[in-house]
Amino acid sequence: MTLSALDPGAVQLPRETVQLRQEVRDFLAGERAAGTILGRPDSWLTGWDPAFTRRLARRGWVGMTLPRKYGGGGRSNLERYVVIEELLAAGAPVSAHWVADRQAGPTILRHGTEAQRSHFLPRIAAGACFFSIGMSERDSGSDLASVRTRAERTDDGWRLTGTKMWTGGAHVNDHAIVLARTDESEDRHAGLSQFIVNLRDPHVRVEPIRLLSGEHTFNYCHLEGVELTDDALLGRPGDGWQQVTGELALERSGPERFLSTLPLLTALVEQMQRTGGGSPEQQSRVGRLTARLSAIRQLSLGVAAALAAGRPADVQAALVKDLGTRFEGELVNEVREILPTTARFDATRGSYPELLATAILHAPGYTLRGGTNEILRGIITRGLELSR
Amino acid sequence: MSTESATEHPAAPSAERAADALPPLDAPPTTLVALAREAGHHHTPAPLAETLLVARPLLAAAGLAVPDGHLTVATGPLDVRFAHVDTGSRVGPTGAAGTDDALRVSGTLHRVPWARAAEAAVVLTEGPWGGPVLFLLEAAEWRQVTGANLAGEPRDDLVLLDVTVPAARVRRVPAALVREAEWRSGLARAALIAGAARRCVELTVAHTASRVQFGRPLSHFQAVKQEEAKLVEEAALVTAAVEAAAAALAEPDSAEFTAWLAAAQAAASVAEITRIAHQLHGAIGFTELSPLRLATTRMWSWRDEDGGERAWQQRIGRHVLDGEGDHGGEGDGDRLWQRVTSG
Repeated sequence: MTLSALDPGAVQLPRETVQLRQEVRDFLAGERAAGTILGRPDSWLTGWDPAFTRRLARRGWVGMTLPRKYGGGGRSNLERYVVIEELLAAGAPVSAHWVADRQAGPTILRHGTEAQRSHFLPRIAAGACFFSIGMSERDSGSDLASVRTRAERTDDGWRLTGTKMWTGGAHVNDHAIVLARTDESEDRHAGLSQFIVNLRDPHVRVEPIRLLSGEHTFNYCHLEGVELTDDALLGRPGDGWQQVTGELALERSGPERFLSTLPLLTALVEQMQRTGGGSPEQQSRVGRLTARLSAIRQLSLGVAAALAAGRPADVQAALVKDLGTRFEGELVNEVREILPTTARFDATRGSYPELLATAILHAPGYTLRGGTNEILRGIITRGLELSR
Repeated sequence: MSTESATEHPAAPSAERAADALPPLDAPPTTLVALAREAGHHHTPAPLAETLLVARPLLAAAGLAVPDGHLTVATGPLDVRFAHVDTGSRVGPTGAAGTDDALRVSGTLHRVPWARAAEAAVVLTEGPWGGPVLFLLEAAEWRQVTGANLAGEPRDDLVLLDVTVPAARVRRVPAALVREAEWRSGLARAALIAGAARRCVELTVAHTASRVQFGRPLSHFQAVKQEEAKLVEEAALVTAAVEAAAAALAEPDSAEFTAWLAAAQAAASVAEITRIAHQLHGAIGFTELSPLRLATTRMWSWRDEDGGERAWQQRIGRHVLDGEGDHGGEGDGDRLWQRVTSG
């Protein structure tokens, strides 16, 4: 029996990333000095700042891994990893380009036509084209293959009908990649296809779904007979399931799966430093979180290295996502106990009580988004069966 | 506990066999850590991790020759005097200087791992000059009172009755070497725990796949899958921390901190790993009928030997909270992140 998940191997980041990391830190120091809002938990979900995105893009840090001929940076996945982990650790507002950078770009590169590549990729890399994910529906959460949104053949393309749900940023982004059923007769995995949909189309109606905090990031995205030409089809008809599965590997193992609440820990550490460094009990609890964070990061880097080398890493990605997102929530509870404070969502923005409130109110999402953890654990145990 | 031990393995014969397999002194550090993990995986009855990751490197750092065979490591207060007192010295009271560094040593070193199976022990204590001293004791020089840890592994007390240690086996060492002994010991335990954690996963996966209840294997129950996945995850976490520390052994700037991280994570994960492994094994894992105890009882001992998780966590916490760091400057909450990414 091989248990490859238990032998991730230490990942040594390439030497050139040392300088790159410093460049990102210097850039962020400049942004902080210029008044950009940093240090927020869950900034990849709610930190929407297109001007910040464009400044990042000018540095070449959006669409970094896309080929140069499409306006990308031609950099490696591990280089991108270093950049985004620095941005997330700093709580930078990266949500505008997050999906475009993480999955829409790579998916279009992989499955798109030449016309789609040359149209979308340079815009993504310039920070001028933002994407939403059009996968989930009311009755299709973890069980994605049950989607009901339909794409019917028309004379010169497709007509899209259905309602996507939890569509983050649909009210502010430009496009969504929509998973739809193109063939009812086939088995449920085979009849799916992906389409690039313009969110400003008159037949797309976006309706807000407010988070329990009252914040607006999610939406219903009603597709009310959206007429698409053939060039909106992404990849081959019927390949949607396979394409989506590939996207999910990118979606599950990145540093956003364990760093969403790190800015809160950073704020705690600063608070403790100002008040004399804390008691031995407080110190050891900070140490416990540091050790766990560090180990989870090693596992996440292992997945990034595997993906970069073209090795499958579904099981390891599921493992990192379960460990990392549970850690994100655990961190919030620990911070509450290390330095008890009443969380206040209406306190001064950026103050410790307000950051704590944001992290608490977002906590239910950590272990749900990107695949519910209970379902991911099934992927892990299935991996054990296969390796037996 | 200095009672007659009830070890599960007659130590001596196996230890001799294992000695044949000791790697050369110039083996790469990652290989040494991998061997220590294997020792934890197979519950090897010998002080392999102590020899490879602690005793040998300390001897080398102190400039002493490394003897063949298995070695163990001991620290603690002893009565240490110069063997050849320099009666002509006017420095301090009589006996405060020697004509050389030969020592006369008395006292007891407690719960020394595998002492009865070791050729020699590396001892770190305070020298008669008030600074740390490292010396090598040969097995014939101590009297042994046998003891055992929760797993029955030898943890013997060494009684030293006015033992003379020749100057050739004594070195004055810097305080940094005492710290190195601590973090190396922590890493050695972490590597052993990583190996034993893997054993827990293997045994649990095999058990839940083969044990049938209600007409299907345990592994087909959702409730079992959920726990089994968490077991795999927690074990992977320990392995990742240990591998990172192994890779950092050759990096003087990060070796110590990453060893702390590995020691803290390994010790902290023992509770969850052993809890799930036992729960999924059912009653049989709680008995001598199952080999699971060979891993879990060791893990319960190892997590506390050389410092429990609280001690390691506190070192880490103090370090990242210490404003006087190498990065300095304004609001240094980022120091935590800088340390995590500097490995």
